Amino acid sequence: MKLYDIENGIMVYYLPEELDHYAAERIRKKSDAVFDEKEVKNLIFDFKNTCFMDSSGIGLITGRYRKIHDNGGTAYIVNVNSAIDKVLKMSGIYRIIGKWNSKEDIINELIKGGYYE
Amino acid sequence: MSNTNEMTLEFTSISQNESFARVVVAAFISRTNPTIEEVSDVKTAVSEAVTNSIIHGYDNGDGKISIKTVVQDRQVYIEIRDEGKGIPDIERAMEPLFTTRPDMDRSGMGFSFMEAFMDELHVESEVGKGTVIKMRKEIGAGHHFE
Repeated sequence: MKLYDIENGIMVYYLPEELDHYAAERIRKKSDAVFDEKEVKNLIFDFKNTCFMDSSGIGLITGRYRKIHDNGGTAYIVNVNSAIDKVLKMSGIYRIIGKWNSKEDIINELIKGGYYE
Repeated sequence: MSNTNEMTLEFTSISQNESFARVVVAAFISRTNPTIEEVSDVKTAVSEAVTNSIIHGYDNGDGKISIKTVVQDRQVYIEIRDEGKGIPDIERAMEPLFTTRPDMDRSGMGFSFMEAFMDELHVESEVGKGTVIKMRKEIGAGHHFE
């Protein structure tokens, strides 16, 4: 399965079924080099396939968020189920990264904000 | 008739075993008839404790981790033990967002999550000897029909 996608400066992470320490380390190792090389302006964390997450997942998200934030970009969270939502809420991460219903909504928001010209 | 059931699991300290450990505990407690949310809570708490043992207790090196789980009526007791380097300052380690490994993208929320997802949490540790995490959760606490 695809780990991520980069298009028009938007990087989408397709998070795995179980986002624990093991998975988080793999994602970090496989994507950070790309992250540094390519011009990533915005980040989308897609939880469509994810049914388990612990604090290692929070660490992964905040780590990537910090990088994008330093470059003036924005991050988005999409497609969370109730179990993932509970963990995300508890972590307080929604204070810095918004939760969206669909990727289309995020793209529309980016268009509105003048991201696409 | 005693209504107690107990199991102990021992495995090597490698991160592939995190999912194995939480799935075994989840399967074992299924006789208490937990909700999906309760299973999820227990799995998260187990995952946090096991990850701590692997990353911090054994510094990603060799070691054994054991998990004892006891089910007594609606109570689930979980004890996760390692013989790693131990925690010098437990109070500090339990502070929200405290981590010794910010370089590794560690969130510092492990103990906060264990506390939030379980009803009780005790940490015993001795430097150079290891750490024991004891947790309890009552299953069905949210929906009594009496």
